[in-house]
Amino acid sequence: MTVASGGPPLDRLCALVKRESLGGAYALLTFEHEEVSRALAGQFAMIQPEISGDLLLRRPFSIMDVDSATGRFTIFLKAVGAGSKAVFDLRAGERARVLGPLGHGFSLPAASERVVMVGGGYGVAPFALFSRVLKPSPPFHLFYGGRSAAELPLVRELERRGIPLTLSTDDGTRGEKGRVTGPLVPALSVGEGTVRLYACGPEAMMHAVAGIAAEREIPCEVSLDPWMGCGIGTCLGCVVKIQEPGEGRPRNRPACTEGPVFDSRRVIWPQGGPA
Amino acid sequence: MTPDDPAAAPSLGVRIGALTLKNPLLAASGTCGYGLEIAHLVDLSTLGGIVTKGLYLAARDGCEVPRIAETPAGLLNAIGLQGIGIRAFVESVLPRLQAHNTAVIVNVCGETIEEYAEVARLASQAPGVHALEINISCPNVKTGGIAFGTDPVMTHDVVAAVRRASRLPVIPKLSPNVTDITVFARACEEAGADAVSCVNTFLGLAIDVESRKPKLAFGTGGLSGPAIRPLAVRMTWQAARAVKIPIIGIGGIAAANDALEFLIAGATAVQVGTLNFSRPNIYAEIEAGLRDYLTRHDLKNIQALSGTLQYPR
Ligand SMILES: Cc1cc2nc3c(=O)[nH]c(=O)nc-3n(C[C@H](O)[C@H](O)[C@H](O)COP(=O)(O)OP(=O)(O)OC[C@H]3O[C@@H](n4cnc5c(N)ncnc54)[C@H](O)[C@@H]3O)c2cc1C
Ligand SMILES: Cc1cc2nc3c(=O)[nH]c(=O)nc-3n(C[C@H](O)[C@H](O)[C@H](O)COP(=O)(O)O)c2cc1C
Repeated sequence: MTVASGGPPLDRLCALVKRESLGGAYALLTFEHEEVSRALAGQFAMIQPEISGDLLLRRPFSIMDVDSATGRFTIFLKAVGAGSKAVFDLRAGERARVLGPLGHGFSLPAASERVVMVGGGYGVAPFALFSRVLKPSPPFHLFYGGRSAAELPLVRELERRGIPLTLSTDDGTRGEKGRVTGPLVPALSVGEGTVRLYACGPEAMMHAVAGIAAEREIPCEVSLDPWMGCGIGTCLGCVVKIQEPGEGRPRNRPACTEGPVFDSRRVIWPQGGPA
Repeated sequence: MTPDDPAAAPSLGVRIGALTLKNPLLAASGTCGYGLEIAHLVDLSTLGGIVTKGLYLAARDGCEVPRIAETPAGLLNAIGLQGIGIRAFVESVLPRLQAHNTAVIVNVCGETIEEYAEVARLASQAPGVHALEINISCPNVKTGGIAFGTDPVMTHDVVAAVRRASRLPVIPKLSPNVTDITVFARACEEAGADAVSCVNTFLGLAIDVESRKPKLAFGTGGLSGPAIRPLAVRMTWQAARAVKIPIIGIGGIAAANDALEFLIAGATAVQVGTLNFSRPNIYAEIEAGLRDYLTRHDLKNIQALSGTLQYPR
């Protein structure tokens, strides 16, 4: 089961109060939005600059951090196309339309469980907030992977927060060389207590982690990342195939309202194969 | 008289056949779920009404993903009418919708004329449904849909069948994917329609050049949003001159002036579609803009505006 929403979503025109470049296409953006500042880990917001020209739809971004005392929240953004670039280009003081908090976040582990988080690319963002929720217990560890050292722009921020990290890069320029699942697998069998896995990142990575979890019968949640139109379940653009235990066949479920976090055993992956 | 004297406030109420709307603003089918999905963001009682997502007899899974792609000032979609079916709507949604005090228009779908008629009959028997919009114009299904809306004889037959199955106002939704929309508007009027909705999405294709594949899993899709507005306004204007029944204008409405264009072109009411996705609370802004316009132009009610286009200019 996923945890309940951190309060009803609200649509607000709100100011970008802080922008910190992390080099390349990456930045941390902090907005003022009271409701989103109460978001739970794994929830997201739909964001678009106040002046968005011919760009129609907002884009979804995970909540990386919140400060309910000041009513602020932060996202970790990678500019990949026109919509994310428009948000990336916002300057402090400019305004954006922000609708959130949306979706169901990660479910909380039992006190006896050991939490293992796997983040790839911008998918690492929700684990910054989740780590704060987990502190001081149960124990947790974050595996953070990317293509190269330049694609791990959040490392310093995560270290600053004292999150235990294992890094990996496809080209070996930082941490262990290869996929994030390389160091993950051996780590699952050392340490006390039963493990609970959480994954967010590229689909291939989440599919692999789900497979690893299934083999070892480890509970695992994945935060899926389909193309979203509205964030509130009306456009039905972001559906994912989910097999519920009581149902005869998988159904198309909107990831925005029924996810984006799902129990990995329920997900029917487009790649097929066991998960 | 002061401007806030209620006696002086211009009226936004409109009539569409036997259907009375408190204002001419409706949420378009497929862009507001079944109403409840947006009720926490929009006070539904401030809308003239909502049009449900398309409903068949049975639940449907819809198309594979990707289902949506953004294009300049537009949205290309092939959702494929995923839905819960008319019975589930009547049993589990409608009772909760009634509390919201807004007109409920059911978007009726079918693969056969018989299915359209049966969905219409079930919807009409349920308390709290105010009108039926007949979807003969969905471009994203393999059977039915647009096939009915691009052949005037089939259009006539579907509308006539629904007319016989229901005493509610019947509002066929026209496809813009035809050469002459007036032929279809007339076919609807002759078959006993109370109004027509004008228009559904335009058949389009967006291509991912790297893979040389369509961006949508279905292949083609339906284009909506501000990109289609001048096309939809033109069709509204043509249809309004061809028939006596009221027109509901639809296509790319993103502000009060956009709604006004449709009304001036001849529409009696309008629907907001794609903009619901990015601006869920746009209705308050449009309504304020309409009131302001009526006041500035010294019009007592919005119906007086309909079809006042001065053409040629
Ligand atoms: C729940 C959720 C949380 C997210 N959180 C974050 C976050 O914290 N930080 C962040 O930077 N981004 C996040 N994203 C991703 C972000 O929303 C997308 O990068 C953005 O919507 C892309 O829009 P665009 O206009 O910039 O790019 P587009 O021009 O639309 O796309 C650029 C390229 O990426 C491809 N593409 C677009 N969307 C996807 C997708 N979902 N999956 C695979 N390929 C895609 C396109 O085909 C194209 O090749 C999240 C997405 C979801 C669904
Ligand atoms: C995602 C999406 C789903 C839609 N689903 C339906 C539908 O189920 N039935 C229908 O009659 N029209 C449907 N439409 C068409 C809209 O109701 C409307 O006619 C069209 O989008 C043009 O208006 P707009 O430009 O304001 O969006 C859909 C449109 C979109 C974008």
